[in-house]
Parts: sequence; C-alpha cells; structure tokens
Amino acid sequence: MVNVNTNVAGPLQSVKPGIGPNSPGMPKIGSADEKKSSFADTIKVAGNYISKVDDLQQSSDMSIKDLLSGKNEDITSVVSAVAKADMSFKLLVGVRNKLIEAYKQTMNMPL
Amino acid sequence: MEVNNSFGPIDIAISGLRAQGRQMKVISSNVANARTADSGKGEPYRRLEATFKTDGDLGGVELDQIVTDMSEFLKVLDPGNPMADVNGYVSMPNVSLPVEMIIMNIATKMYQANVAVLKRYQQMLETTLELLR
Repeated sequence: MVNVNTNVAGPLQSVKPGIGPNSPGMPKIGSADEKKSSFADTIKVAGNYISKVDDLQQSSDMSIKDLLSGKNEDITSVVSAVAKADMSFKLLVGVRNKLIEAYKQTMNMPL
Repeated sequence: MEVNNSFGPIDIAISGLRAQGRQMKVISSNVANARTADSGKGEPYRRLEATFKTDGDLGGVELDQIVTDMSEFLKVLDPGNPMADVNGYVSMPNVSLPVEMIIMNIATKMYQANVAVLKRYQQMLETTLELLR
C-alpha cells in the first residue's frame, strides 16, 4: 500500500515551535498509536470534498438560473455564489493535481 | 460570524454591495419625486434617507432603516397653481438635487470600493493556491 504520510515538517520543528504537526489547527499526524492514513483514504477524503464543491457549483448554477428566469432579481447573491464556487473549485483542482503528481512520482520510483 | 472562514471577506464585501444598492433605491426615489407636490398624504413628498448599521461583530453592513427628512418644505411662488395658498405660494418637496447628486457619488464610490475589496481578496486566494503548484 502506498503511504503519502511524509513528515516533511519533522526537521523544522526545532526551528519554530509554534508551527508543527502538533500545533493547534494542524491535523495530527505521525503519532504511534494512531492508524496511519493510506493513499486510498486520502482519495476518499478528496471524494468527500468533491461533493462539497459540487454543492457550491449547484447552488451557483441555481442562482444564475433564478436570475435569468426572473425568480430572483438580486444580482449580488449570484456574484457571491459564483465567487465561492470558483474559489473552492480552484482549490480542488490544486489538491487534485498534487495528488496525481504524488501518485505518478511514487509509481515511477525504480524498484 | 466565524473569523477563520476564507469566505468571510466575500460575504462582507457582498453585504456592502447590497447596502449601497438599497441606498441607490432611496436616492432614485428622492430624485424622481423632487417636484412631487402631492405625496398622497396631504403634503408634498418628504425626502428619505437611509441609515446603515453593522451586522454583528466583524460582520458586514446592512440597511438599518429609512428615515424621513423632517426639514421644512420649499416654498415656490406660483399664484396660478390650484394648490397655491392665499399668498400664492406652493409647497414643494424638501429634496435638493445637488445634495442627492453628492450622496449618489458617494454611494457609487462605496460600491466600487467594495467591488475592489472583493477582487483583491480573490487575487489573494489565488496567490495562496499557487503554492500548491
């Protein structure tokens, strides 16, 4: 099984104690008793995120439809929904590219 | 409102856009009724003014209420008018067009400022996402 749990922040921990895997706000990684997450789990999490991004896309789509059909005359709510959907989709594409890149690099590793 | 929300600034800027849109509605009503001698209440049209308030802590802006300007009506000498009093004066609305133009300019600039904040924030988020590449 491929493991993407590379603890790159390890050597940097002594440099800045405030930022590290154990600081608040960061997901806890690398502790001995915890089950290590596999690449497949990461893909599943990304799948959950895709459905959330899809919800935002759907709501922006609905607001555009409502505006064009005359049901809703507030153009600012359309702008807000589209801006949110745009930002979260860009983040999703960035994460997806990173995941694919990691998978390719792992698969091209000479064994 | 949650502070650690990356959509927070978008919502706040949108609330500014909405508030200035309502402000434009009030201004257009004032300008359209600048010469309305009969508002249907037995007196000339009274000028309206919008007031704003903050929407919670670190939140956006929203329209608080629309208050009527209780200053005196303008007296215009027009003896031939059927609504004129014994001295020949007609009461006209207390709307001053130059003042409305100034308020409209302010509202337009505020709207543009909110759009500028929205655009700049989107650019900032995109800069952050470039780190993923």
